[in-house]
Amino acid sequence: MSTSKGTVHLSAVPSGARAGELQLVERCRAGELGAFEELYRAHSGRLFSLALRMLGNPADAEDMLQEIFLSAHRKLDSYRGEAALGTWLYRLAMNQILDHVRSRAARTGQLTDGLDDASLLADASGHRLADRAISRIDLERALAELPEGCRAAFVLHDVEGLEHREVSEVLGIAEGTSKSQVHKARLRLRGLLAGSRQ
Amino acid sequence: MACAKYLNSIQELIDGTIGSIRRAELEMHLAECADCRALFEDLQRIHDAAAALPVVEAPDRAWLQIAGRLRQEGRIRDSARLEPKRRSAGPWLAAAAAIIIAAGSAIVLLVPRASAPAGPQQTAATTPAATTPVKTVEEAQTAVDTAQEQFEKAIEDLQKVAKANQEALDPGTSATIDKNLGILDQAIAENKAAVRAEPTSAAARETLLEAFQQKLSLLQDTISLINEMRKGNNAAAARMVNKS
Repeated sequence: MSTSKGTVHLSAVPSGARAGELQLVERCRAGELGAFEELYRAHSGRLFSLALRMLGNPADAEDMLQEIFLSAHRKLDSYRGEAALGTWLYRLAMNQILDHVRSRAARTGQLTDGLDDASLLADASGHRLADRAISRIDLERALAELPEGCRAAFVLHDVEGLEHREVSEVLGIAEGTSKSQVHKARLRLRGLLAGSRQ
Repeated sequence: MACAKYLNSIQELIDGTIGSIRRAELEMHLAECADCRALFEDLQRIHDAAAALPVVEAPDRAWLQIAGRLRQEGRIRDSARLEPKRRSAGPWLAAAAAIIIAAGSAIVLLVPRASAPAGPQQTAATTPAATTPVKTVEEAQTAVDTAQEQFEKAIEDLQKVAKANQEALDPGTSATIDKNLGILDQAIAENKAAVRAEPTSAAARETLLEAFQQKLSLLQDTISLINEMRKGNNAAAARMVNKS
């Protein structure tokens, strides 16, 4: 998987760094808390950001982060260093977050957003964004208000930088559905952001 | 209102997936249609702002909770838990741990969770102790103060309940509990001093929180013991005392 922000390519990690990662993992396996804290400090921000934006809720993201790192500690024996540690953790985190999103979507009966483009376009029209930059806080707040399915697709595509094909694989949806969800999310965000500035 | 006919093309232009012929057609349209141009510019800005969102650091308590769970699951090697500098507080904790009633019982709570922020905007703007990694002496101290405050509140509540019902225990057990609480209070005082001396030391903070956790644990076990005595379940109470 190749992303603009996140995935660390195998070639991008020098062999010395990889050896350092393997040593760190070895110390974690040996039960050294300080080593695991080092691993946590290096990767928790990125994984917390992913969980926060995918789940739309800081409390759920915090619980998820805890589960991700506990699961990582349990699975460290299976880490062989084929991928960079960050990539391995990112995949593990993504799987856990998606399991959560899917089970939550199953409860609410909605992984995709049913609104059609025409009504979203009508809703967003007349609400131009002001010329000033979109603030991070406004965007995060609007993101949290998106429906589950289109938020997940938007975060993976526009925030994490995955291609639509990759989003479709990760979410288990058709590529066309990924496009439609991302496009709806942008239209909705336009309406939400314009509304927040009035 | 933007033209529905061009909506997909606008989105694909932002995605970078539009073909050259449709792109040329769209660019001609955008030059003429102000609404579609406005829509394109807004959606492009949203896309760019999303791609530039920064990393949000997890609250400091998240690590404390993970470390606590790893300990509970026995995944941390004991010898790795205390660094040389922290061993000065060790004898007190070890002495207390040795006589704590039912010390093996699992305590889920490491740091009582602060109330969850109501919205994402607060992840960047609530109290430093709750949401930002510890970087400076001041931040470290604030983080410890917050956790300490939460522990002390929980301990105070439990202590009131235990005190009010302590007559249910026999004098010998009651005296042992008081003695253990005294030992833990002394350990807490020593660890507070260690944190003051080294405010940025994660190890010192962790040891202080461990001491609080042990006191919390002792009080919880005391209340469990009182409950068993009140229910007349002497056998269960005896088992708890014998574990000590």
